[in-house]
Amino acid sequence: MNSILQRYSGSNAGGLSKSTIDEDNDFSDAMWGSEAGFGTLAKGVPGFVVPSVPDPAAFLRLHTDDHADPSCRIKIQHGTTTLAFRFQGGVIVAVDSRATAGSYVASGTVKKVIEINPYLLGTMAGGAADCQYWETYLGMHCRLHELRNRERISVSAASKYLSNLVYSYKGMGLSMGTMICGWDKTGPAVFYVDSDGTRLKGDLFSVGSGSTFAYGVLDQGYRWDLTDEEAQELGRRSIYAAGHRDAFSGNTCNLYHVKEDGWKFIGNYDITKLHYEGPGDVAGSPGHGYGYDMRVEGRSSANPPEAPAQA
Amino acid sequence: MSIMEYNGGSVIAMVGKDCVAIASDLRLGSQALGISSNFQRIFPVTDRVYVGLPGLATDVTTLRERFRYRVNMYTIKEEREIEPETFAHLVSSTLYQHRFGPYFIEPVMAGLSKTPSGGFKPFIAATDLIGCLNFAKDFVVAGTASAKLFGVAEGLWEPDLEAEDLFETISQTLLNAVDRDAYSGWGAIVHVITKDKIITRTLKGRMD
Amino acid sequence: MSQQSAFSSPGFDFSNSVRNNFLQEKGMPLPKATSTGTTIVGCLFKDGIILGADTRATEGEIIADKNCEKIHYITESIRCCGAGTAADTEFTTATISSNMELHSLSTGRKPRVVTVMTMLKQYLFQYQGHIGAALVLGGVDSTGPHLFTIHPHGSTDKLPYVTMGSGSLAAMAVFESSWKPNMERSDALALVSAAVSAGIFNDLGSGSNVDACIITATQTEMLRNFVKPNERVEKERHYTFRRGTTAWKSENIRDLIVNEDITLVGATGDAMDTS
Repeated sequence: MNSILQRYSGSNAGGLSKSTIDEDNDFSDAMWGSEAGFGTLAKGVPGFVVPSVPDPAAFLRLHTDDHADPSCRIKIQHGTTTLAFRFQGGVIVAVDSRATAGSYVASGTVKKVIEINPYLLGTMAGGAADCQYWETYLGMHCRLHELRNRERISVSAASKYLSNLVYSYKGMGLSMGTMICGWDKTGPAVFYVDSDGTRLKGDLFSVGSGSTFAYGVLDQGYRWDLTDEEAQELGRRSIYAAGHRDAFSGNTCNLYHVKEDGWKFIGNYDITKLHYEGPGDVAGSPGHGYGYDMRVEGRSSANPPEAPAQA
Repeated sequence: MSIMEYNGGSVIAMVGKDCVAIASDLRLGSQALGISSNFQRIFPVTDRVYVGLPGLATDVTTLRERFRYRVNMYTIKEEREIEPETFAHLVSSTLYQHRFGPYFIEPVMAGLSKTPSGGFKPFIAATDLIGCLNFAKDFVVAGTASAKLFGVAEGLWEPDLEAEDLFETISQTLLNAVDRDAYSGWGAIVHVITKDKIITRTLKGRMD
Repeated sequence: MSQQSAFSSPGFDFSNSVRNNFLQEKGMPLPKATSTGTTIVGCLFKDGIILGADTRATEGEIIADKNCEKIHYITESIRCCGAGTAADTEFTTATISSNMELHSLSTGRKPRVVTVMTMLKQYLFQYQGHIGAALVLGGVDSTGPHLFTIHPHGSTDKLPYVTMGSGSLAAMAVFESSWKPNMERSDALALVSAAVSAGIFNDLGSGSNVDACIITATQTEMLRNFVKPNERVEKERHYTFRRGTTAWKSENIRDLIVNEDITLVGATGDAMDTS
């Protein structure tokens, strides 16, 4: 065990040293099968191969869509709604599943919750690849922390590790807005981390183009002493609101609940089904559709009851 | 961000056997934000002619009124209802008049025209935003989901569909195309025009 | 009656320009109009002129119309092929056609091709290239057969064989290698067809079918879809949906047939007393 630890102990987190480049060919036997494609971990944090020019970001811009649209960096999945909040019974994490490229809905089944380990979840907004790679990478270091210190990493430490890491690449085009959620010695915890280097501790966050809509529902219904059922319903209802109003969010809602014994996947809910029928037979369900039309149906002549399905 | 995408929305028209259908989504947006899920984009011109106006919402209203005025003037002067072909040219010339300051609308028209023998012949047409007419024999599309509509319609459309079959084909084409377009959707409406009745149905579409 | 029109004054209306310029300055690009990224050709032969065109209309990378008509009517013995902004070619040729009809009515003579050419170039020059019409004009009049090209800015050429549009290079290559003076009608038609086909197959902006128009001193023959080398194969299976596939929320049926039930007033319905 110690020999393995020793091999990894020399890592310089967040470093961008020259020596990390061009060393992928130096394999030792122990490395095979142990690093899952993360390069030469023994030499420290794997670095991107950066073009050897004075301003790599400017160089990169010439070869991406940047010159056509400066606000768009490489391929960024900007349309998203993700949320996480902390309450008496743990942490609720809920996200949508739409990926868009311009106005084209490229996918409706994206997994925007990254399962870092059984106790930690990360959410995905911004660059899908950036989030996936670095949060998986974070998972590896959380495991190493466990091996080194014989205890689980705190959510605070894990999020700081990620924050430091992305900060070292600041200005180079990384794009992520993520929430690191989990349960540690201090209880339920949620941290917001983004590629600018911001790291915030808080009870309640929502990230993405649909975040304003999610916040609207979330703020209105949030209390610390929410029951588990109420909290799950609030997360679902908030993602529905964003999926409904925001053109770049929608399709389905993925819901997770983190408790003392780790996270649990609660379910996948179709936004349109939530609109017309509601979440179905689950805890906290209101028993009817979330949609506005469903709630005012039959209340006025402008909203006559729905005709029974066609002949 | 194009002006044509500001409010979102799409329209499609299809020819069937002695009938035509025209359909659109019901979304009115302000870029990514959905504003209304009951926005009328298709308007009746006469009993047997309908026009769909996808594009900038302010111009939908302006052009609708402009067409209503010009159709009324035509009806009064000619003492007869306007034929769909004539209406298509009315739309075209109205738009071309604004060649150097266009309305951001790409109209789609569908109707039944009278034949000399007293029967009815299906008619569909679309124009671009400066009035270039496109008389297709199968289907025409316009709006933010036009590229997707082209693809789906090209696969699903076939000749001589009866009114009820045409309803299914145009509905499925529209519904599946707008589900792949972020700016269209939020419900849909379909009008099927036959020689003796017009069937209007609001569809149960995805609401995200 | 001195009023010009019940609808509006003639000519272009610039009332939206202020708004549109504002939007453009805000960084919103003006949308693309339908254009005919086209192959249009024309050539002289023994008895007159043959014009040719493809039938594809595009909007960016989308094919907006697979079988549009690009050979426009000017007069019975003068026709004009259009390339460029589709609406512009359509309306420019229609305007000039209308003017030529009035012109021939007032002069009592058949219009000449040069007259059409002059009117077109003056019209296009007036708009300084903003009307994006690139034309191939051909016809036969009392002075014989004539063939012109007219560019959007108003410049013209008079040549024995011409091509225009995005497929013009492909088509011209065919003409340059095979055109000869005083060709027979069938040979010339085959050449025009080959030139347009070169555009259809080698230029992405051109496609679908070949339209041709043969104009001689005695008659004009419009050969719509003369060659159809890109016929869509019939689908072998069908996608018709079972009725009731689409879920709908509400229905409204507007009956266009008015049924009148006539209820006779009076017990027996006897004939009216008209005495």
